[in-house]
Amino acid sequence: PVVLSAISAASSTTVELNIALKRMLNFNAPPLKNTAAEPVWKVLIYDRFGQDIISPLLSVKELRDMGITLHLLLHSDRDPIPDVPAIYFVMPTEENIDRICQDLRNQLYESYYLNFISAISRSKLEDIASAALAANAVTQVTKVFDQYLNFITLEDDMFILCHQNKELISYHAINRADIQDTDMEAIMDTIVDSLFCFFVTLGAVPIIRCPRGNAAEMVAVKLDKKLRENLRDARNSLFTGDSMTAGQFSFQRPLFVLVDRNVDMATPLHHTWTYQALIHDVLDFHLNRVVMEEGMGVEPSPAGARPKKKSRKTYDLTAADKFWQKHKGSPFPEVAESVQEELDTYRAQEDEVKRLKSIMGLEGEDEGAISMLSDNTAKLTSAVSSLPELLEKKRLIDLHTNVATAVLDHIKSRKLDVYFEFEEKLMSKSTLDKSLLDIISDPDAGTPEDKMRLFLIYYITAQQAPSESDLEQYKKALLDAGCDLSPLNYIKQWKAFTKMAATPANYGNSGVKPMGLFSRVMNTGSQFVMEGVKNLVLKQHNLPVTRILDNLMEMNSIPRNKNPFQEAIVFVVGGGNFIEYQNLVDYTKSKQGKKVVYGCSELFNASQFIKQLSQLGQK
Amino acid sequence: MAVDITLLFKASVKTVKTRNKAIGIGFESTKDEIFKRSRPKSGFSPRAKEVITNITKLKDFLLQHRKDYVSAGSLISSDLSRMTDNDRDQIDQDAQIFMRTCSEAIKLLRSEAEKQVMSAQIKEHRGAVLDLIETYLKGVCKLYSEQRAIRVKRMVDKKRLSRLVPEHHSPVEKKVEVEPTEEDTIKEESSEKTTSSEVQDNPVNLWEESRVEDELSPEEIQMFEQENQRLISEMNSLVDEVRQIEGKVVEISRLQEIFAEKVLHQEAEIDNIHQLVVGATENVKEGNEDIREITSKAAEVAACLGSCQLRRR
Repeated sequence: PVVLSAISAASSTTVELNIALKRMLNFNAPPLKNTAAEPVWKVLIYDRFGQDIISPLLSVKELRDMGITLHLLLHSDRDPIPDVPAIYFVMPTEENIDRICQDLRNQLYESYYLNFISAISRSKLEDIASAALAANAVTQVTKVFDQYLNFITLEDDMFILCHQNKELISYHAINRADIQDTDMEAIMDTIVDSLFCFFVTLGAVPIIRCPRGNAAEMVAVKLDKKLRENLRDARNSLFTGDSMTAGQFSFQRPLFVLVDRNVDMATPLHHTWTYQALIHDVLDFHLNRVVMEEGMGVEPSPAGARPKKKSRKTYDLTAADKFWQKHKGSPFPEVAESVQEELDTYRAQEDEVKRLKSIMGLEGEDEGAISMLSDNTAKLTSAVSSLPELLEKKRLIDLHTNVATAVLDHIKSRKLDVYFEFEEKLMSKSTLDKSLLDIISDPDAGTPEDKMRLFLIYYITAQQAPSESDLEQYKKALLDAGCDLSPLNYIKQWKAFTKMAATPANYGNSGVKPMGLFSRVMNTGSQFVMEGVKNLVLKQHNLPVTRILDNLMEMNSIPRNKNPFQEAIVFVVGGGNFIEYQNLVDYTKSKQGKKVVYGCSELFNASQFIKQLSQLGQK
Repeated sequence: MAVDITLLFKASVKTVKTRNKAIGIGFESTKDEIFKRSRPKSGFSPRAKEVITNITKLKDFLLQHRKDYVSAGSLISSDLSRMTDNDRDQIDQDAQIFMRTCSEAIKLLRSEAEKQVMSAQIKEHRGAVLDLIETYLKGVCKLYSEQRAIRVKRMVDKKRLSRLVPEHHSPVEKKVEVEPTEEDTIKEESSEKTTSSEVQDNPVNLWEESRVEDELSPEEIQMFEQENQRLISEMNSLVDEVRQIEGKVVEISRLQEIFAEKVLHQEAEIDNIHQLVVGATENVKEGNEDIREITSKAAEVAACLGSCQLRRR
């Protein structure tokens, strides 16, 4: 059960999610606290959506500890195991339902616990009923649940909508020129379904704020409607009474800020300097898992010999990793230092254990030796019992050494510190000590993509567009460096459109008057008000999304309620990244007692975002 | 929050039934139920469940008697504890036999599962089930070893305290009963020390004597005082020694636990290594064969070429 501190006014989604999953995996009953309870075994069947939801939160070992002997994909070959109950965790799609019916007909398992990630329709439920009847398996279908878990929690304060099929609701999908109304409706419905599930799980009805006139507003309107419909039906409402978990003490409704990606196009392209964001930028990092290839460097192999296979290593960065939790938002030099410190501490402890081993060889001849011996017996006992801890520490140190080294290699070979510094200067309108053209033309600094990112940031943040001749110069330099210029076409359009939308941006919300302040922020949203950065030490500055949130949280926006918001959820329609997330985390740290959760429709790094811009610019 | 729609599902089943009746499709329900039950029910699951039931019995047994087992009874009255040491020994023995039996049962199931031919998924499933049962057994064994460690500690505590009791209590029977054991322990522990046996007899005599005589000569008083001092310092050092030993005993038992665990781990790892080595040997063998093939083929090719050249000339 959740241990509530009196200070935090609302519970966190990860905790809720963990509870919800553990309950589901215990046959939809609250798990027993008694660890010496009889084991009950079961198999878990999921689709890729279910897998993505579970894997950031529960490791294979934890699943095993809960009695799950096998975890299998729904659409895979599965053998009948007639003496075991099966727990299903899938989306209620047509193909999934068909496969479930097939399983019922084939009598694969002893009993079935069906859990649908988002609510299943009545007609599909009847399809299952039908198949169950035909297979005489009705009594075997023990429980059916709508879990309302159609979103992925990556961190305690961060979630995304999905990982599979994310191209369906990507920035590109929402902003392409040839989008039809029906397409847009479908995308909005998908997003709203997930957000609805999020609030059902959180157990709170939010107060929604968003700017007018873009995709974010459409989402806000639909979500608002869905929430109201649900609340109106008091008997079946998901937000009242016993459907809320026992630990809910939200005295205040949370603030839900919806923004559109278009409000800040520079941050997704920005080069970064904090650990988690760097990993996401330069390495292969999905759902809290890093995949790396070991054995970098090409060795000349003798003719005819088989090429040396590079081993792939995967690392899970979890909540239990103390080093990660402490340093995922730290600037990289600090991380490198800390890894070294941890390594030194570990080596000292290792030496201590080794020393004890040699002492134990003493024969115990004299008084001094005997007393030292018993003293060391105690030491040895504690050393031995702390061995598992020590080994785990070593594993984590190795992990972070490898990951940090890989990141550092990228930084060095691509001169990412130069890019970071330059971009920070661009964004803060400080004086530049190099010319943009120099960096672009420098063959040693960065990949063509890095250069394109830098140029786009320049273009986005420039007060005035560069002159035609300047632009041609830049373009030529970029082409020489091997860049693809199509993203620029799209950014040009975007910039023009943003300038046009200088009309006062009103808030679309649940019936409160528009905020003039926001419109000002909206127009100057591309300007990062930030002091100059020196020595690549990050000074706290607020990115556009953070500034929007700050304005809203500090205001007394509800007439009757004079208290500023304590809890807020910020959601970016069109995609987000770790830089924005980290900025919000830093902002929240500076505000006592406030809690901010960050969400986005998809998570992309600069490379993926630029690809989408490229596609958009090619039309 | 998750919503339980099981009732909705049952309602859907009724709806479909009525609909089918109306259309004229009927599903035979009761007859097939009986046939369904005669699915090939492997012996694995019921036997696994049996092992679990047994382990639970052991756990309940241990927990039931735990209070009595662990209670040392009053330290003053040595015969009113609810459980004799013999009972405790019996419990220890029974528990050990039980644990061994369960462990064997698990091993048996595992080896049978290895031999049987079945799909990879079922194999993995059964392996995991047995792992779960083993973990459960380990947890219950821990209960046992915990209370045994407590018992050992209490025994050591008791011995220590019972030796010091005569200094504070006066009843003679107590002393007479306790002193022989005290003397024994003193004899054992101070074998390296140069304590003369007279000193050990003297305390009894001295105390009895002191109650009989009213007056003592000044020399005797002095002598007695000296003796007292010596005895006090001896007792103190013995107390320290016993404390050390008691600590060591507890630590040793803890270490033993840990080492036993480690040895078991190592066993598993050695098995692993063994398998890997076997696999490696196979690979090397195959590699050698491949090389032999290739060299022989190369020789053939060379021979062919040679003969071709010869022919050409």
